[in-house]
Amino acid sequence: MIFAYLDAGSGSLILQAVLGGIAGIVVAFKAWKARMMGRRAVATVEDTDSITDETALTSEP
Amino acid sequence: MVSADPGSFRDPASRVVYDGSRVLRLLDKRGLEAWQALKATPFFGKAVADGRLIQTEETSEFPGGATGALEHPRLPLITYPYEWTFSMLKDAALLQLDLLADALADGITIKDATPFNIQFVSGRPIFIDLGSFEAYRSGEPWIGYRQFTRQFLFPLMLRAWVGLAFQPWLRGDMEGPTAGEMKLLLSKGQKLRPSALMHVSLQARMEDRMSGAAVREDLKEAGFSADLILANVRKLKSLVESLEWDHAVEGWSDYRSCTHVGRDRDAKTEFLSGVLDRAQPGVVADFGANDGHFSDIAAESGAHAVAIDGDEAVLDDLYHRTRGKNISIVVSDLANPTPSQGWAGNERPGLFERVKPDVVIAYGVIHHLIYTASIPPRAVMEWLASFDCVVAVEFVAPTDEMVAKLTANKLARELHHGRTEKEFRGIIAEIFEVLSERTLESGTRILFELKPRQKN
Repeated sequence: MIFAYLDAGSGSLILQAVLGGIAGIVVAFKAWKARMMGRRAVATVEDTDSITDETALTSEP
Repeated sequence: MVSADPGSFRDPASRVVYDGSRVLRLLDKRGLEAWQALKATPFFGKAVADGRLIQTEETSEFPGGATGALEHPRLPLITYPYEWTFSMLKDAALLQLDLLADALADGITIKDATPFNIQFVSGRPIFIDLGSFEAYRSGEPWIGYRQFTRQFLFPLMLRAWVGLAFQPWLRGDMEGPTAGEMKLLLSKGQKLRPSALMHVSLQARMEDRMSGAAVREDLKEAGFSADLILANVRKLKSLVESLEWDHAVEGWSDYRSCTHVGRDRDAKTEFLSGVLDRAQPGVVADFGANDGHFSDIAAESGAHAVAIDGDEAVLDDLYHRTRGKNISIVVSDLANPTPSQGWAGNERPGLFERVKPDVVIAYGVIHHLIYTASIPPRAVMEWLASFDCVVAVEFVAPTDEMVAKLTANKLARELHHGRTEKEFRGIIAEIFEVLSERTLESGTRILFELKPRQKN
């Protein structure tokens, strides 16, 4: 659930795998395929744990 | 009296408060767990020892409501990325990446990536937000990647590739440009560079396509690992290292070659030394600091010097000479100093909420406010008096060669009252007590040591 203090951006998260090199491209493809299979829907705030799991949008001193 | 830091409220696990002169980081249960995981690593001790991470001590004396607390030393001045030069933001970006790589090697991650977590002390970047560290959970991506691109990488690209100053953008939008915005700013050729294809074009496209999708579980199940973060970080580091800003001749960079600078420098230094001797200041604000010569004099006298100038190029050069010196650098136009902004209008306090000088140096600067920014001389002097401290100010007469240049296309009737020596003396007599003065060799410039009169 990407509904955290820091919105990491779904596309940016998948992109990170691609940026990790060949092994990452395989991971990104698998994750994309899983997404295409329709296993996961658009984010909802159902997992409240993830809300407290992340951090500030612009963090602080 | 405990007061909350106005910029420390977003992360419930960790927030900064001030208790008198003490700087405390209050932790909740999750924050305490994250701290315990961090302090158990070799990474933590090493990063503190080599000055990359702020000194941190556990303390049992803290206000109620927290599960635990840490104590940090108070920094001489907090500055913001929109007040930094290119090289400062670049060094901060490299510190962010190095810390992430080193922390990951010890099973710790940094959950965000913002330059607001980094400060400059004695010319070196130091990471100050201990609350950003937490144990790395297997299969998790780097949550701060997008933030890193928006607040570090893209602003640096703006300067290095496009030639645009990033400070106005970051001051206007503290989150930084998005990948989509960068696409609009880069030329066709720039967009074809491999790093831009990935971090700008592909990121913008994927952000558009996947907005709101929950992908963290997908990535974990697909086998995402810390090695992928490290590979990305290594490549980002070499990309950041490759970004350079060539500012050979821009703005005031050729200032030292101006005839009046060399001619008057010794006399101005001597005058300032007298002012500093008498005032024994803790903090000296050097307005229009330029190459930092007078900030150097102030720092050598034992004060913390804050070198403020609107010209990023001269301050970028100065930054490289401040290592080990008690000098802070602030890029800010004195005619439009950094305002308070952010949440509730005070999350990031304005420049003069943070800089409280005991002496102000205003050498070679008020004629620019008067003639270039068209601020009335009386308003300029009232503003200097508002700092309620001794001011070393250089008056420049209308007959000076520099004023002639500044007013080449202005008619006398378009200029404010208070420009002539007689009028100027009249204004300062009303607002200040003149402690000393010295006319420079040219005869068109006078140094004044002024103390604001007590208001009744």
